Amino acid sequence: MTAKDIFKITANLVVIYVVGGLLLAFVYAKTSPIIFLKNKQEKEEALQKMMPNADKKGIIKLGDWYPHDKDAEYFVAKKDGKIIGYIVQTFAKGYSSYINILFSVGTDFRVKKIDILHSAETPGLGDEITLPYFKKRFRGKDLAHLKVVKKPSKEYIEAVTGATISSRAVTEDGVRKGLEFLIKALKKREVKHEQ
Amino acid sequence: MSNEDRISNWQLIKNGIFKENTIFRLVISLCPSIAVTNSVKNGFLLGVAVLFVQTMVNTTVAIFRKFIHPKIRIPIFMLIISGWVTVVDMVMAAYARAAYKEIGLYIQIIVAFASILARAEMFASKNRVCNAFFDGLGSGLGFLLALVLISFFRELLGRGSLWGFHIVQAKPMLIFILPAGGFLAVGLLMAFFNWIDMRFYGGKGAGGASGH
Repeated sequence: MTAKDIFKITANLVVIYVVGGLLLAFVYAKTSPIIFLKNKQEKEEALQKMMPNADKKGIIKLGDWYPHDKDAEYFVAKKDGKIIGYIVQTFAKGYSSYINILFSVGTDFRVKKIDILHSAETPGLGDEITLPYFKKRFRGKDLAHLKVVKKPSKEYIEAVTGATISSRAVTEDGVRKGLEFLIKALKKREVKHEQ
Repeated sequence: MSNEDRISNWQLIKNGIFKENTIFRLVISLCPSIAVTNSVKNGFLLGVAVLFVQTMVNTTVAIFRKFIHPKIRIPIFMLIISGWVTVVDMVMAAYARAAYKEIGLYIQIIVAFASILARAEMFASKNRVCNAFFDGLGSGLGFLLALVLISFFRELLGRGSLWGFHIVQAKPMLIFILPAGGFLAVGLLMAFFNWIDMRFYGGKGAGGASGH
């Protein structure tokens, strides 16, 4: 390798880095504010969907918690200054992925709605947990009835055919643990307030 | 542009779609052809992303082809590819949210697709900018069509739906939606194209041996 080669290789790399860097910087400057805004918007929409009755600015973050060492949040939903329920984000260990779940409960701690924000379960089997027919099964369930059964049941949660592990993850590892946490966290806050 | 050029451009596109189809003829980049083809929508979206990256990478490489030192050409190609992939990733995240949610995970993996590096090394680094552009267009289209074709069969057979809409209320052959079914679908389709190639065009089948 001659000095000329070394010079040319250096020049090559410099030009590519500079041109590429400028291009990426330009695209990033254009897109990142939009990405940030849309992320925020989508999150607000997802929360609003969980609690359609709540005021526009009535969903307030209460704090963070860490199911499976992942960052999750929980919220309180208010209407005209009165608490109408809570929303909890949680993670559950599914068959082939961590399932990111959002669910809302009323003040009686019965589940109102659940939504799967992200999952990568087996296509055709486990990913049916994201379909409305399964999510509807959670409506009105309390702690004692968040349990998976394999036969048709109105009282408990009926598992998706061929996807017991995913169903159990959402129900027991996800929603039930999230609800248990919420109740505990709210008690702690009450004690603090009384003091 | 002269008449002769136009014909050769059209031939370059056709070449990318049929004679040198990335998946069915050259048999490279089989990973995405199995990973993202469990629904037509995913297959199509990734195909479009690859089409764009392939065309831009080919054009960029052809522009710089005389300037790039042969000793470091592969790292330079990789830098160009990753640059364009990052552009696609950011633009999709900003303007195509729904699509990004479905295949966002796979966009960044385009960097490692053998097909893109192969076209840059085999064609773009040796040809004029205009030709390289049409070659990228052609092989990108070939890749897109292959993905759509594979996912068409997989979604129809495995889920009984197309583009998310139910065609039949049943899952005729669930295995086709699972990874194992991906291998089956790619294998069967490749066999079918090999058969056409050998029966009607006197070729030797896939794997680069079908020199007409």
